[in-house]
Amino acid sequence: MRTPAHHKTVPHALGVFGIYLLGLCLLLFSTLVDAQEKQPKELPTVQMMNPAAEFWRDVRQRSAPVSGKTQVGGVETGVLINATGDRWRQFRMSQLIPISGYILGGMVILLVAFYAIRGRVPIEGGMSEHKLPRYTGYERMIHWFMASIFIFLAVTGLILLFGRPLLIPVLGKEGFSILASASKEGHNLMGPLFLLALVMIIIQFVRRNIYQKGDLSWLIRGGGIIGKKHVPSNFFNMGEKTMFWLLVFVGGLIGVSGLILVFPVLGLGREIMALAHVGHAIGAILMITVIIGHIYIGTVGMEGAIEGMKTGYCDLNWAKEHHDLWASKAEENGEALSNQEVAKMRGDRGSVPPVHSGLQESGK
Amino acid sequence: MIGEFIDGPLWYFSITAFVIGVVWRIVAIVRAGLKPDLSIARGSAGSGAVRAIFSRFVPERTVTTRSRLQLIAGYMFHVGLLVLLFFAQPHVDFIAERITGFDWPAVPHWVFIVTAEFAFAGLILLWLHRVLNPVTRLLSDLDDHIGSILVFLVMLTGCLALAQSHESLRLLHLFLAEVFLIYFPFSKLMHAFTFVMSRGYTGATMGRKGVNA
Amino acid sequence: MARMKFYCDPERCIECNACVTACKNENEVPWGVNRRRVVTIKDGDPGERSLSVACMHCSDAPCATVCPVDCFYTTQDGVVLHDKDICIGCGYCFYACPFGAPQFPEDGAFATRGKMDKCTFCAGGPEADHSADEHRKYGSNRLAEGKLPLCAEMCSTKALLAGDADVISDVYRKRIINRGAAVLARGVSFQDASFRAPSNLGGKSSSQE
Ligand code: HEM
Ligand code: HEM
Ligand code: SF4
Ligand code: SF4
Repeated sequence: MRTPAHHKTVPHALGVFGIYLLGLCLLLFSTLVDAQEKQPKELPTVQMMNPAAEFWRDVRQRSAPVSGKTQVGGVETGVLINATGDRWRQFRMSQLIPISGYILGGMVILLVAFYAIRGRVPIEGGMSEHKLPRYTGYERMIHWFMASIFIFLAVTGLILLFGRPLLIPVLGKEGFSILASASKEGHNLMGPLFLLALVMIIIQFVRRNIYQKGDLSWLIRGGGIIGKKHVPSNFFNMGEKTMFWLLVFVGGLIGVSGLILVFPVLGLGREIMALAHVGHAIGAILMITVIIGHIYIGTVGMEGAIEGMKTGYCDLNWAKEHHDLWASKAEENGEALSNQEVAKMRGDRGSVPPVHSGLQESGK
Repeated sequence: MIGEFIDGPLWYFSITAFVIGVVWRIVAIVRAGLKPDLSIARGSAGSGAVRAIFSRFVPERTVTTRSRLQLIAGYMFHVGLLVLLFFAQPHVDFIAERITGFDWPAVPHWVFIVTAEFAFAGLILLWLHRVLNPVTRLLSDLDDHIGSILVFLVMLTGCLALAQSHESLRLLHLFLAEVFLIYFPFSKLMHAFTFVMSRGYTGATMGRKGVNA
Repeated sequence: MARMKFYCDPERCIECNACVTACKNENEVPWGVNRRRVVTIKDGDPGERSLSVACMHCSDAPCATVCPVDCFYTTQDGVVLHDKDICIGCGYCFYACPFGAPQFPEDGAFATRGKMDKCTFCAGGPEADHSADEHRKYGSNRLAEGKLPLCAEMCSTKALLAGDADVISDVYRKRIINRGAAVLARGVSFQDASFRAPSNLGGKSSSQE
């Protein structure tokens, strides 16, 4: 690599030297002329630059963003060059899509591996004869409302994000266009409902999710993942509380940025739209990753975890193992009910013949 | 091929099944007749019936407190669905083209979508309430679930077809709407028509007895 | 193969908007959409210049890269076209395009934008040349007739150039050289708006006392 550069410099140096020499001759010559004519004449200085250079420098926005005037209405029609567009393209195509692919794929692999190694977390004491009321009907209803909308939004959003690399080879462009159009319309329509669900969830659950004393020790002991012993916690443990606050803030970010994206009517500039997209996409990927973990624990990962959200009652032993601080207090207050009583109140078929005991679930 | 079938014969079949079915069910109810009311007439049965048909739209006190969510979600869903069905631009166009021959003003696109959002929220919440609450779960039979899910699917496919750019999405929506129309007369979905009779009947009975209920 | 390009010469553009009108008429562009626009910078100030912009038919087109349904394609003439049957109207191409070329017939609430529309270099779309479908969706296909885009053909000052990139850059290069010579001859830069030589009135006044 060195030699060609070296070769180049030789004639170049010669050229510079030549010009230098020529200049020297001219100088000498002019002084001679000067001396002869004896009257100094002012030569006009002419700047030889591309006459439009300054204009193009403005257009390329080398110094400051330039916005002009135009007869054509619309968003940023006066801007000649959109400086953020290409940066956004780089972000979406070479960072967002591959990295979020790795993150989501990694999360799934991690959970599969975790399940293979640790298996399902059992209730060590086995299912007990008693249950504790854990969630009211309203609480369960808004949880599943939120869950169904979130999953719908995640699936449609991911179709838009990964469809081009993953689905076009399978479905073809025409086929994928149908799916993508459906996903886009569905995502845009359901999106605002996520905010509604989020508000309902926040109002209902916020008090039980304020961090309390026991939480730090739960964290230090890795939530029971490390080691064998369960760690006592309150109604919600540190992990659930953290998920809740992530949902509040990241979910809020997703929702607000989504609303910006969904209303091009506002006529916001492309820079803001691109920024909203970046926030929306990063937030969504983060939240989907966390929720995959949440769904894993709720379904296959832990015995007895889903009972509370499904029926409203959780097993007493499960509660003692996972939420001891709450469970022992509830038990002391005499909230525990026998399985039979619960089955009766829930009207489970086949458990006991319907008895009109006067007990009726009224939603706590 | 299948598209032409959905757009043509199946549409005519389903709308015919719907109309005949609904008329048949209503005629059956009316023909069943009323047994003579032997109670002492203290008021007008007719005005009692009319009053009840409308006054029942306003919920009773205990309903507003104990079932507030069902009340709100119920109104969100039913009003939303009504507006969607008859005042969304694509539906107005469709009805004008296929049935009435004339059209009427539709709501703006954004009202259409906001309404759809309300209807979706209402329907999902109501259905979740149905399956999560032990009492309503026991009261519900297969028909209730099929009805809810069919309405949901019709609405969902409609929402997926909002871009109005892909024929197959429109046909999917139309197909589910046709299934819904065929199912309608033979299910509890008939309450869209029969509520008039059930309310009217109780209202008349009460009205005759001079009870304002 | 020739690569088709546009070039707009700001020293010549007089902001008459004939290219905008020609384009709208020739292509029967949807309401609310302007495939071409004239932008004036430093309007009313010294150094005011105008430029007519539309899609520049980029070699490495950002719009084509970000499109989630991959509906763009580049013709053998180097013209960037898109397929409206596949477009889902997401607006990503508009965010990515450096020149604001992609336009949407609507900008309604809930992201109802309709299908993206942009300059086709008067080359129609993926449908058969001169078919009714092609005309309805994309407007005219002058390239298939052996003609160049109408905007440039109409330009009265020949500020807007369209055609083979080699020829266009040659034309522009010659203009620059000529302008350079004019600068030398007159002794002023084009950036100083005056073209007149100084009138040597220094020291003179209409009244002496
Ligand atoms: C099929 C999917 C899901 C299952 C099986 C599931 C299961 C559960 C279970 C069992 C609980 C109760 C945990 C306990 O009693 O301690 C719970 C709580 C919760 N879930 Fe889910 N869930 C699912 C999806 C979602 C989704 C998609 C979201 C939100 C985006 C979500 C948000 C929440 C929230 C906010 C709580 C309350 C926890 C807290 O406030 O700290 N869930 N879920
Ligand atoms: C929490 C649930 C949500 C998730 C998981 C989610 C996920 C996503 C994802 C992955 C994308 C694709 C980004 C890309 O293609 O580059 C996306 C796009 C988008 N999302 Fe969401 N999103 C959620 C909620 C929302 C909400 C609440 C709104 C609106 C209120 C919304 C509106 C949008 C819009 C407008 C786009 C752009 C897609 C388009 O214009 O076609 N999203 N979302
Ligand atoms: S639309 Fe924009 S990004 Fe795409 S080719 Fe034209 S100028 Fe380039
Ligand atoms: S608006 Fe259409 S052309 Fe533009 S990126 Fe979206 S799908 Fe592609």
